[in-house]
Amino acid sequence: MAEFTLPKNSKVRKGRHYSAKPGAKQVRTFHVYRWDPDTGENPRMDAYEVDVGNTPMVLDVLLKIKNEIDPTLTLRRSCREGICGSCAMNINGGNTLACIKAMHDLPEGDVKIYPLPHMPVVKDLVPDLTHFYAQYASIKPWLRTQSAPPDRERLQSPEERKKLDGLYECILCACCSTSCPSYWWNPDRYLGPAVLLQAYRWIIDSRDEDTGARLDDLEDPFRLYRCHTIMNCTNTCPKHLNPAQAIGEIKQLMVKRAV
Amino acid sequence: MSAQPRQAPHDMRTPLKRVRGLGSAKSGLGHWWWERVTALALVPLCLWFVWLVLRLPHLDFASAHLVVATPVNTLLLILFTTIGFWHGQLGLQAIIEDYVHTRWIELVLLVAIKFLAVIGALACALAALDIWLAVY
Amino acid sequence: MANTTKIQTHQYDVIVVGAGGAGLRATLGLAAKGLSTACVTKVFPTRSHTVAAQGGISAALGNMGPDDWRWHMYDTVKGSDWLGDQDAIEYMCREAIPAIIELEHYGVPFSRTDEGKIYQRPFGGMTTNYGEGTAQRTCAAADRTGHAILHTLYQQSLRHDARFFIEYFATDLVTDADGNVRGVLAIDMNEGTLHFFRGHAVVLATGGYGRAYFTCTSAHTCTGDGGGMALRAGLPLQDMEFVQFHPTGIYGAGCLITEGVRGEGGFLTNSKGERFMERYAPNAKDLASRDVVSRAMTLEVREGRGVGEHNDHIFLNLQHLGPEVIHERLPGIAESARIFAGVDVSKQPIPVQPTVHYNMGGIPTNIHGEVVQKRGDDREAVVPGLFAIGEAACVSVHGGNRLGSNSLLDLVVFGRAVANRCAELIKPNSPHRDVASDILDRPMQRLEKLRTADGGTPTAQIRLNMQRTMQTDAAVFRTAETLQEGCRKISEIYASFEDVRVTDRSLIWNSDLIETFELSNLLGQAVATMYSAEQRTESRGAHAREDFPERDDTNWMKHTLSWVDDKGAVRFDYRPVHLNTLTDEVKTIPPKKRVY
Repeated sequence: MAEFTLPKNSKVRKGRHYSAKPGAKQVRTFHVYRWDPDTGENPRMDAYEVDVGNTPMVLDVLLKIKNEIDPTLTLRRSCREGICGSCAMNINGGNTLACIKAMHDLPEGDVKIYPLPHMPVVKDLVPDLTHFYAQYASIKPWLRTQSAPPDRERLQSPEERKKLDGLYECILCACCSTSCPSYWWNPDRYLGPAVLLQAYRWIIDSRDEDTGARLDDLEDPFRLYRCHTIMNCTNTCPKHLNPAQAIGEIKQLMVKRAV
Repeated sequence: MSAQPRQAPHDMRTPLKRVRGLGSAKSGLGHWWWERVTALALVPLCLWFVWLVLRLPHLDFASAHLVVATPVNTLLLILFTTIGFWHGQLGLQAIIEDYVHTRWIELVLLVAIKFLAVIGALACALAALDIWLAVY
Repeated sequence: MANTTKIQTHQYDVIVVGAGGAGLRATLGLAAKGLSTACVTKVFPTRSHTVAAQGGISAALGNMGPDDWRWHMYDTVKGSDWLGDQDAIEYMCREAIPAIIELEHYGVPFSRTDEGKIYQRPFGGMTTNYGEGTAQRTCAAADRTGHAILHTLYQQSLRHDARFFIEYFATDLVTDADGNVRGVLAIDMNEGTLHFFRGHAVVLATGGYGRAYFTCTSAHTCTGDGGGMALRAGLPLQDMEFVQFHPTGIYGAGCLITEGVRGEGGFLTNSKGERFMERYAPNAKDLASRDVVSRAMTLEVREGRGVGEHNDHIFLNLQHLGPEVIHERLPGIAESARIFAGVDVSKQPIPVQPTVHYNMGGIPTNIHGEVVQKRGDDREAVVPGLFAIGEAACVSVHGGNRLGSNSLLDLVVFGRAVANRCAELIKPNSPHRDVASDILDRPMQRLEKLRTADGGTPTAQIRLNMQRTMQTDAAVFRTAETLQEGCRKISEIYASFEDVRVTDRSLIWNSDLIETFELSNLLGQAVATMYSAEQRTESRGAHAREDFPERDDTNWMKHTLSWVDDKGAVRFDYRPVHLNTLTDEVKTIPPKKRVY
């Protein structure tokens, strides 16, 4: 059956409390999920009181904690401008990129930070995305053609190219897939919104010649049809893409070729 | 969140092997399509059914019997119950597939809802026919 | 790393370190050639910083009007302030055309012209007919070209079943007693285990070291790990004084706003609302090359014409472009400006400042990507088994200053060159020569030392000191005074690394330890940069000395080679600039005064 409660060794305990330095002016408390695989102890929520002056984004706060309070805090981060997709995490209940989540957009009060939901945790805020990446690879996300390529570029009209807008921009941060209840219950068989968005990106590319085979590979009660149009994916996407719509388009194409 | 690896220790398949699984079932469109077609059919049928039911309390048993037993109402009643069970069965199937992950329970439930839906639909159809035959 | 004596050994024909544009292009090329290839990368490939490149990739396709790769070459040589090697530049500009067509065939979603061809936009320093007109040469996928290319290259790597070791941090090159590179030592961050990757060749594609500075457009992960490894292997770095400041980093945050904004018609204004670039570059105006624009902006601010509360930055205007152009061609920067500057670009200008962006310097290589060093009389003897590509390398195609949209080009052209070269040199799956049993001793000693580092100064503190010093003393304009002060301070900071403290003692995903390794790589290159800048007494490209404002071709038309030993002492040598061309299809472009 689906698991509705956490297993015993995953119950989250109260962790350490780090008080603000005396003289700190704009103090806010950050409750951060911590789990160290080396110790085998249960996960805990550490509380950090941080002087948040001059820290525009949540990522800046996390790095301030790491640099000045607790160097053991572990998270992925890279571009810090919302294009690499490393720092995807769950902030105050929503999946987003810490680097473009502005402090002034957070409601008053304490801030709670967890790793992406329903993924195995490697450590602290670092989830294991191996399975997610394998799902991406499974749709063969590359241009598949049979016709010999021309000497120059393949031609594509601006209208045809426009169909890729809102699709190719995906940064594979996994915010959408890990916000999807259907993906929570069937991650092994449902491809999830991010991967289906990418699948549609190739289905709709005017240069790709393998559209039928791509649809064949998706036509499955689980791979595609676990999407129940819950829309969490679209609501949470930090790049404002619309995976739910892309999945809807795939379903329409399935109908179009059969009915 | 689970602090445990997704892969059990004895599972040494590659991530891609696990993701590909048994391949695409090349089905699912039928379920999706009929779920929507039956839903569409149920919109007018539900309205009609509500209208029918709202009429009945004002009548005595014999008059109610006559109303239900008109050919049109009998036909619509059979359609409503059959399509309703069909639609309900499709929906239950989706719920079971979503949440039930113990294979044998899942299979038993999937078969059971199919049987129950057929039995339910047949029973309703027989009842409606019985009412109709009693009058005509 | 609880059990440091247990090291897993892997054998591949080629080991690629880094999975950005260059690393991926090399990896998929090598895999396609049938060489067994391992790509060792500290981040998942699509997280590499190539993903953040915006404006485009240059090639004289001529889709928007007449163009010629020779014009491209002329612009690049001029942009480099005649420090670029002309044979390498010729190679890159000629190969650009097939390289871009290849990218398109791979599936990169380039923006399109009405005829269905790849859309090309104007970019800084790109001209037609040897400086006469403005060229539209930069192939773009809206303002997300790097993202489009990096993802496509990763997809192609999947297609060719390339073997990736993701979130493995390479700590050191492994070299034998004869100086041959035999592989790399790496930590698997997910398990905390040690891995010795043996290869007939190692390709360093580790990117730049922008994070040596406090404010930069570079990602947190741009820590020049390959440069650090090369220095520790006793190899020199080349032209480290040349650090490009991008004119339009968002004020404060430092996030990049592409030059494509100016290519599409945007312009800079000072506090008087004046388009001041007309004064500094009467012809090219806002599309002069980056060093020129950054200096002009710095001068405007210095002379009191900066904007904002502290008069310390400049406005980038694109309101006049209209929402349609912005939406179609610059959607990403509209988003960035909103998030990081709180600006609606259709109504307000973006506050910008020159921000560290690119390292022209790096590991010296020839046009095949083979790392070269001086051996006897041979100034360019190949280091056996070592290649470098991308921002980590210095071929040198960018010389004193890189033109915008030439870096993505550099990645794919030389990534491909390395794959071709390895295929010539290495027989697939050929047996590996034995290595001495003590070959890992040195890298292991260093690893142990850092793993157990228990000094008094946290990594973050030393890093901050370094970044502040570099920011202050190796800035857009430099003088002997600031540079000597900078040398003194950066050497002190380098020495303070002996006292570093790693707090995290865990095995798995010990990012405190990884950041310490990265800091050690940054420090070597920070020292090389500061000292190289101090000794070059001329102004050329991005290296602007106020006390030596002119270019000095008599004494300084040469590449700086700098070695940094483990005590932080710097040694210099020089290598002449290649003025010769590769073929007779084009003539040498003789040095002349560089005006835009």
